[in-house]
Amino acid sequence: MYRWLDERLSLSRFNKKFLRKAFPVHHSFFLGEITMFAFITLVLTGIFLTFNYEPSSRLIKYMGRELPAAYASILYIDSLPFGAVLRSVHHWSANVMIAAAFLHMLRILVSGAYKKPREINWLLGLALLGLSVVTAFTGYSLPFDAFSVTATQIGYGIGASMPYIGEWVSQLIFGGEYPTLHSIPRVYSLHVLWFPLLLMALIGAHMLIMIKQKHTQPTYAKKVAPGKILGVPMMPQQGYMMGVLFLLYLAVVFFIGGSYIAHPVEAFGPPTASTPAVKPDWYFLWIYGILQIIPGDLKIPLPFGAAINSEFIGGVLVPGLLGIAAVLLPFLDTRKTKQRYMELPTRHPVRTSVTFALIAFLLTTTLAGWKQEFGFSNGQLWAIIIVGTLATYLTSYLILVSYWGKAPKGEAGELEEA
Amino acid sequence: MSKKTDTTRRAIVGATVGVGLGLGAISMLVPIGALKPKKEVTPETEPPKKGDVFVFAEGDKKGEEIAFDDLPKGGPFVLAFPKDPKTGVIKNGERNNMVLLIRLDPAELSAETAEYAADGTVAYSAICTHLGCTVSDWVADKGDLLCPCHKGIYDPRQGAKVIGGPPPRPLPALPLQVGGDKPVCAGGFTSPVGVVAGLEPQGGSCAV
Repeated sequence: MYRWLDERLSLSRFNKKFLRKAFPVHHSFFLGEITMFAFITLVLTGIFLTFNYEPSSRLIKYMGRELPAAYASILYIDSLPFGAVLRSVHHWSANVMIAAAFLHMLRILVSGAYKKPREINWLLGLALLGLSVVTAFTGYSLPFDAFSVTATQIGYGIGASMPYIGEWVSQLIFGGEYPTLHSIPRVYSLHVLWFPLLLMALIGAHMLIMIKQKHTQPTYAKKVAPGKILGVPMMPQQGYMMGVLFLLYLAVVFFIGGSYIAHPVEAFGPPTASTPAVKPDWYFLWIYGILQIIPGDLKIPLPFGAAINSEFIGGVLVPGLLGIAAVLLPFLDTRKTKQRYMELPTRHPVRTSVTFALIAFLLTTTLAGWKQEFGFSNGQLWAIIIVGTLATYLTSYLILVSYWGKAPKGEAGELEEA
Repeated sequence: MSKKTDTTRRAIVGATVGVGLGLGAISMLVPIGALKPKKEVTPETEPPKKGDVFVFAEGDKKGEEIAFDDLPKGGPFVLAFPKDPKTGVIKNGERNNMVLLIRLDPAELSAETAEYAADGTVAYSAICTHLGCTVSDWVADKGDLLCPCHKGIYDPRQGAKVIGGPPPRPLPALPLQVGGDKPVCAGGFTSPVGVVAGLEPQGGSCAV
């Protein structure tokens, strides 16, 4: 059988090229894989959800109540055997995917793996992270309950706040001024068709480039076998590890999803006139925090009567600037030779400290999301954010420099590689 | 055949295919234009107009007409949709039609607010100008309007001026007049409802 196929498809060539690919063994190298497992789980549970979901916000009679059809179909899904668990696993996997992708990015960042020749994969990774968040957001709106309608309204508003093009962009995505009857079909198409297809294409390119360029090697590989590529082959060793990890992932996410139903639609209730007490998912809390503490009188006028308002600054400008900085990073922090080995975070005190400062910024702005609960004023929160971010940078830098000394001019080993 | 003719032929084929693809791409602009959603105006989605009465938007009395006596003096406010008294159609098909009605002490109102008020009762758009949530919370001790999404605070006595939080402009007012025992709409909103990316939104969003 194998020979028959091999003669027609040259399987042995494929095996040599892909299945013998060396995977370096390092505990931080599983984050990207977990991201992919979460995506596979999302696709599989998502297929189940599309079989039963009705993409419409028209009011229908369901179990004696007048409800939007989408909301009623979610109640139906929750009433199916394992339906609520699968929906919950879908939601939890989205959380895991974003978290794992972000941690994977931080790993690449502190080990300098975005440098030549891997700039393209860094950009693809950023696109994947951004698209994952956008896809998760479009998923928010589909249950059409009180929570999701409010959250999507805010998303519509953030889009609409962009000067000149905002109104047009938001109406294009949300099918008119959200919520209209045309909103759910459009967002549904984006969420279950176009964004997943785009994600698959980008993931495919990300993988192929990774195989072509090879992983960065952990620093121990330099000592063990300098100049050689160290690792276990894709098949069978790495494949078994991936299989075990995937099963482990499924076990954990089904346990969590089954124990804690994510997004309890029945409890949130159908959309109401008044705003329910809601907070966004954790990965939006930092934007939510920033939006609350930017004063409304902060306005930058633009020609033709447009202006940059507080909601644009918080919702688009701040995340956008961070994104632009990330895109420019591999072109500003460069090296001449091709990078083979992971850089040690301790040898790059500035970059490592900036990473810590970024985490501090995200955590302190997340704290601002509890402005009302903790009774903070805008001034206090701004002080916490600015001082917290700068202090984290300085502390980290001082510790790194005093313990490991200043980074040498050239990366150790760079000359041998060249 | 000489090499030169070969390249010329290739260039001509390339140019022909290129022009075809280019024209095809330009013609695709028309279907892309169709992606922009069409705004459909039905009796339920029409903006409020002069003479409209108001009905409760939620609660036990949802859909019932609101009289002055239904509004507690000094607040809290009531969320309402306009209703055309002639056809009996409740205009709840468009979220931007939602207003909040509040009955205040006429002596406390600013000059501009008093102009829009009827017997101390004022109506504002309930859609937050920050990011479009419903302004649905009441700050009881201060008598202010609070949007729970990002904690924008408006003062209903001073034309829903922003007195805290991120909203860029006041809530649009909906002028009222006295119609027997009920507050009745006296005209369109004083400025555009909801999120506007402009600096100084001008004019009303609906006909008087």
